[in-house]
Amino acid sequence: MITLTIDGDEVTVPPGTTILEAARGRDIPTLCFDERQAPFGACRVCLVAVEGSPKPLPSCTTPVREGMTVDTRDPTARRVAAAIVELVLSELPVAPAPHTELAQVARMLDVGEPRWPGETHAVERDERHPYLAFQHELCISCGRCVRACDEVQGTFALTATGRGFEANVAAGLDQGFRDSVCVSCGACADTCPTDAITEISLLDLVR
Amino acid sequence: MGGVSRNLVELVRRHHEQGAPTALEVLKEAMDRRGEITDDDRRVAAERSGLPEAAVYGVSTFYEDLLVPRGARHVRVCTGTACFAATGGAHVEAVEAALGVGLDQRSEDRSVSLAETVCLGYCHCGPAVRDGDTVDAGPGVLDRVLSDSARPAPEPRLTSLLAEPVLTRPGDWAGFTTARERDPSELLAAVKAADVRGRGGAGFPAGVKWEFASRAANPDKVIVANGDEGDPGSYIDKLLMEDNPHLLLEGMALAGHAVGARHGFIVTRSEYPRSKPALDAAIAQARAAGHLGEHFDVHVVEGGGSYVVGEETALLACLQGLRGTVSARPPFPAERGVHGHPTVVNNVETLCNIPFIAREGADAYRALSPNATPGSKLVCFNERFARPGAYEVPFGMTVRELCEDVAGGMDGPIKALQIGGPLGGILPGTRLDTVFDFEPLAAEGCMVGHGGIVGFDAHTDMRAVATHLLRFGANESCGKCFPCRIGLQRAHAMFATGAPIDRTSLEQLLEAVEIGSLCAHGGAVPAPIRSILAHWPEEL
Amino acid sequence: MFDSSVTTTCGYCGVGCRLEAHTRNGKVATIAPALDGPANEGHTCLKGRFAHQFSRRRDRLTTPLIRENGELRIASWEEALHRVVSELTRIKAADGPDAIAGLASSRATNEDCYAMQRLMRAAIGTNNIDNCSRVCHSPTSFALRKSFGLSGATGSFADVDHAGAMILIGANPTEAHPVVGARIKQAVLRGLRLVTIDPRRIELSDYGELHLSPRPGTNAAVMLGLAHVLHRDGLTDPAFIAARTNGYDALLELLPQYTPEAVEEITGIPAADLVRAAHIYGEAATACLTWGLGVTEHRYGSEVVQLICNVALMTGNVGRPGSALLPLRGQNNVQGSSDMGALPDTFTAYRSVGDEPVARSFEAAWGVDLPRAKGYTIPQMFDAAVAGDLKAMYIFGEDVAQTDPNTAHVVAALESLEFLVCQDIFETETTKYADVILPASSFLEKAGTFTNAERRVQLVAPAIDPPGGARTDFDIITTLSRALGHEMGWASPSDTMDEIARLTPDWSGISYERLGRTGLQWPVAPDGTDSPILYTERFELPDGRAHFAALPYKAPGDAADDEFPLILVTGRRLQHYNAGTMTRRTGNVELNDRDYLEIHPDDAARLWVSDGDTVSIRSRQGRTEITAQVTERIEPGHVFTTFHFPETRTNLLIGNSMDVNTSCPEYKVIAVDVRPIGEEASMTPALSSA
Repeated sequence: MITLTIDGDEVTVPPGTTILEAARGRDIPTLCFDERQAPFGACRVCLVAVEGSPKPLPSCTTPVREGMTVDTRDPTARRVAAAIVELVLSELPVAPAPHTELAQVARMLDVGEPRWPGETHAVERDERHPYLAFQHELCISCGRCVRACDEVQGTFALTATGRGFEANVAAGLDQGFRDSVCVSCGACADTCPTDAITEISLLDLVR
Repeated sequence: MGGVSRNLVELVRRHHEQGAPTALEVLKEAMDRRGEITDDDRRVAAERSGLPEAAVYGVSTFYEDLLVPRGARHVRVCTGTACFAATGGAHVEAVEAALGVGLDQRSEDRSVSLAETVCLGYCHCGPAVRDGDTVDAGPGVLDRVLSDSARPAPEPRLTSLLAEPVLTRPGDWAGFTTARERDPSELLAAVKAADVRGRGGAGFPAGVKWEFASRAANPDKVIVANGDEGDPGSYIDKLLMEDNPHLLLEGMALAGHAVGARHGFIVTRSEYPRSKPALDAAIAQARAAGHLGEHFDVHVVEGGGSYVVGEETALLACLQGLRGTVSARPPFPAERGVHGHPTVVNNVETLCNIPFIAREGADAYRALSPNATPGSKLVCFNERFARPGAYEVPFGMTVRELCEDVAGGMDGPIKALQIGGPLGGILPGTRLDTVFDFEPLAAEGCMVGHGGIVGFDAHTDMRAVATHLLRFGANESCGKCFPCRIGLQRAHAMFATGAPIDRTSLEQLLEAVEIGSLCAHGGAVPAPIRSILAHWPEEL
Repeated sequence: MFDSSVTTTCGYCGVGCRLEAHTRNGKVATIAPALDGPANEGHTCLKGRFAHQFSRRRDRLTTPLIRENGELRIASWEEALHRVVSELTRIKAADGPDAIAGLASSRATNEDCYAMQRLMRAAIGTNNIDNCSRVCHSPTSFALRKSFGLSGATGSFADVDHAGAMILIGANPTEAHPVVGARIKQAVLRGLRLVTIDPRRIELSDYGELHLSPRPGTNAAVMLGLAHVLHRDGLTDPAFIAARTNGYDALLELLPQYTPEAVEEITGIPAADLVRAAHIYGEAATACLTWGLGVTEHRYGSEVVQLICNVALMTGNVGRPGSALLPLRGQNNVQGSSDMGALPDTFTAYRSVGDEPVARSFEAAWGVDLPRAKGYTIPQMFDAAVAGDLKAMYIFGEDVAQTDPNTAHVVAALESLEFLVCQDIFETETTKYADVILPASSFLEKAGTFTNAERRVQLVAPAIDPPGGARTDFDIITTLSRALGHEMGWASPSDTMDEIARLTPDWSGISYERLGRTGLQWPVAPDGTDSPILYTERFELPDGRAHFAALPYKAPGDAADDEFPLILVTGRRLQHYNAGTMTRRTGNVELNDRDYLEIHPDDAARLWVSDGDTVSIRSRQGRTEITAQVTERIEPGHVFTTFHFPETRTNLLIGNSMDVNTSCPEYKVIAVDVRPIGEEASMTPALSSA
């Protein structure tokens, strides 16, 4: 077992545990994390300060070490996390619905008006499937849907596409859910933090 | 954890063991054959490689070589930093005008297409243009492109300043022949004692990496030579791979011996079309001579056009035919890499240092640069200098000595230097007495990086340089992590508008990108921008 | 966002996903998987997650209906119940209690099924009660009890994660038990060595190490062949066999004739592949055996399950983590409906109706005398109806006219009855023959428990009310019983479970409070300790030892011949559940709108059939029409289809062949003839290979 200090409290966990797992219940914001999937390390919002490290570290992909001292409220970590969430909000053409994880995290980090507004994602919608709707403009490329389809369901119907700012997600050969090998399990909709993928019947909640 | 899908890697591994090609290989073949990629090509790639169709689609939208439909004549213009330094970027529009087609477009009649590429490795005589597979560069290149008479550009020269050259000495397998008779632990100890720091930019001690991999439980280990670093302004790896392939192969074989690996891969850049053929020929020779074989063999894999694939986890993804995105570490490649096996990833130049150590020992290696980082370094210069080319130098010389004594200085004062690649800080001409070594350069906000030195002359507009670097950074972002994916686009947009820069806002943005990014791409793009903000604030 | 949320258990398949149902305006707005569901761990499939719109479809039954002069008319509950009571009372008086039979729904809760069997036994006075496990896993129940002692999986789904190897035979979990299928697939990608055995290549075959394609009906030979190789190549666990089993010698006498070559003759499986399969299983430190209806729905299905048990016993792969036998129970509560004794020959926990002490304990609890003779199984009910011995049936939550074999016979039976009362949520093929229809509740509208395929009893909580005048099955059955003169004395299903626990030692520690969010796997001791793994110390047979079964291979009930040259196998697809009663009334029809006949390209070519053609399919029993789907998943000589759409009338084709021990119909081996519509029999070109 490994003992470390998080926000002044001593915590003991098995080796291989990540800081995020060890800090369960301490309200570290995340966007690309889903406990049903392996940690991904894409959003960088879960940053915490670790004594001895010159930069804050992503808690979801950093394993604990004996004697580690972690500060989950470090000002630099939180400032950078808030800036990142601000950037994410700025790439969406509309604000995320209040119930979404993204909106919740933005509230938690007290994110204000975007300092760096600019180009937003093109609106592109696929609503041909009886249950699943994909609003590509709300996609923040967190990868959770792709990983749900890979690591949980095992159908591999989704993929990340493009590069850089143009990055997004597609089903099959960009065929949409219905014409791809998707088995409609809904794991993607369940994990999506912005409702880019959501149930058609719940679209009125989002729009 | 961290990124590359374990399931996809497992599917790739299973199919690799049956001799299947990677999805990237099949897609590149289709592109080379017909100039474009259709959904049918993707389905074929999925079936042959074992990768799910969606994943293949994702691969086909990631690599530059697969994105621009090609005409009968496919021209690629280099938009790298050295070519930028040569013309201020004007050559790009000139080529568009000459061909009558815009960047990343194909003419209506499909006779000609134009794409951008970064970098072709002809920084010593830029600007460079690739017409089909002929790379032309230097004076008159635009005329020759216009008249469809491109001819191969002169290759750069590699000279050693050392009494006993390490990297310019042709590989002769002498080191390997001796070492393979001895216990691997001896070689491992020598490499550790020699303190060989990675030459690709990170400077990580190679011996530590090797030791970690040699201890891994999984016996199927792999050595990967990273020939895909692709820094604009650097043609060092290109020279080593194309002109001294046996030195690299010997270095890999030595790594294999020390670590206990039987398989090796070299990932080359598709922007250097001559690298893979040169290496393949050398491999055939080495096999015939018995240096490579059952005990250790090497395969060359060509990339698909991406800069960030030079990062080691992205490199391994590319090698396996997946999207070249970066993975969080741990697990480190030495624990889980290619096909899930323990993998050592070393830069080409790093591996080329090993034969010397195997032959002469760690002490001799350390003696090459007394009171400085052990060993030697290749540096290369762009066409602005009087004697552009690549040089093997010891660590510890000053930047001034390198630029003026070795490279002959510029026509006029040196306004600025970007050292080590597009992610390196920019040294103003007033600071040339800085010592060329890891720590002294870091103190100036700069780095050794891969050793490419791009000089900017007095005419250079530093804001244009910043805009150029941010555009490059944003274009090459793999798109996985949020700060780099969005932040670099925003930073570039700030500069591209031409409006005065709000320094505070920019600094806050750069902080988020530098601290938040997943890898050194986003993490280091801010460095040169900060150099420009610090040393040339009036130009912004 | 939502008016209310409850955690409940899915009412579709035997995986038993835990779900969070959220409602708005009295309807289900969305369903999400529960992160702490032991069987599903935060995942579910399109049925549990999305296919809930049926609950508010306009054609839901919302009032009782009485048939008069051939037409159904609306009636009040009072009138309808009165009609049922008076008819049943009349028939009972005239022809005796055994002239009445009941069919309990395997989709309904344990409490509903317990109430039903109590009604039939105590209020009516007959043991004529059965449930649809008859037509799916009754062979499993029989065999597991014979070989090990208890009728249930020997381990849990979690054992999949700890197994080194798995043999998956006669099941297609990525379609029929999607969450378990996904779990197996992930385990395979992590290194689980999988052997799939099925006449068709299933999706998991593309990920597994080896696939065997036996001729339909030859599973027994496959299992005997595996046993032969395990013994021959020294892959057995002699210490385990000696300490914990009986009957090995008899098996050893049988095995020599089942050489890989002999088995190849019978099954068509290459000898080398059989040997490889045995080694994959036998060399693993822990190994699971998983099977489905492709094993049970055969003439000798129960024997095949016993042979499967043999293989586990020979290698000591039972009673420890990672080594489990996992029959994939189909319905959400088919395990439970049988556990509850909704069976003609047993009370709860499979204790015989003829067992004196047990019978007396129920007599004491219920205050009535109970019959000791076994009652009718479902097939016997139909035979008795046609013969005039069975006059009335009370069927709830079962569409026998669509799902049971030999539709013509089923219809004849239903038409022969003097009185048929159906309790259901929609009108079905069966309710066409009902005299009284009582509107009932779906899983989203009731409280109780379901027992999934890993013996896990989990709570069901209502998210919405039954629509209109519909009532919960619990309410209807207890009210009916009261009206028939037998008061059950329960205020709620929780009271029912308390009674079950009192009267059933294996359930003694179960209470709603203890079930909590994650349920309990029976047997549950009085202190609440449950049983993720059975037989860790002893088997539940009199001498504490498991029994080997020495059963030779015998040919299936049907075989291809010149007139019917193809073998039909029936099964399920992902998007629909069995008769499709619920899923056909959801968006799932947009994803799959009909039954298809899978046919190999070689057969299709010979028969001049193209993909998408409507074809005629004929068996010794009947004929129907269906759309062809040409695919290489199926082997030449076999065809496959589903029974999700009543228009297809697939079960018209199924005859009377059934399992020798349990009467489970042989849905998996039907000789058929397929041809394009309109073609005469004489025009069919002969198939060149057998």
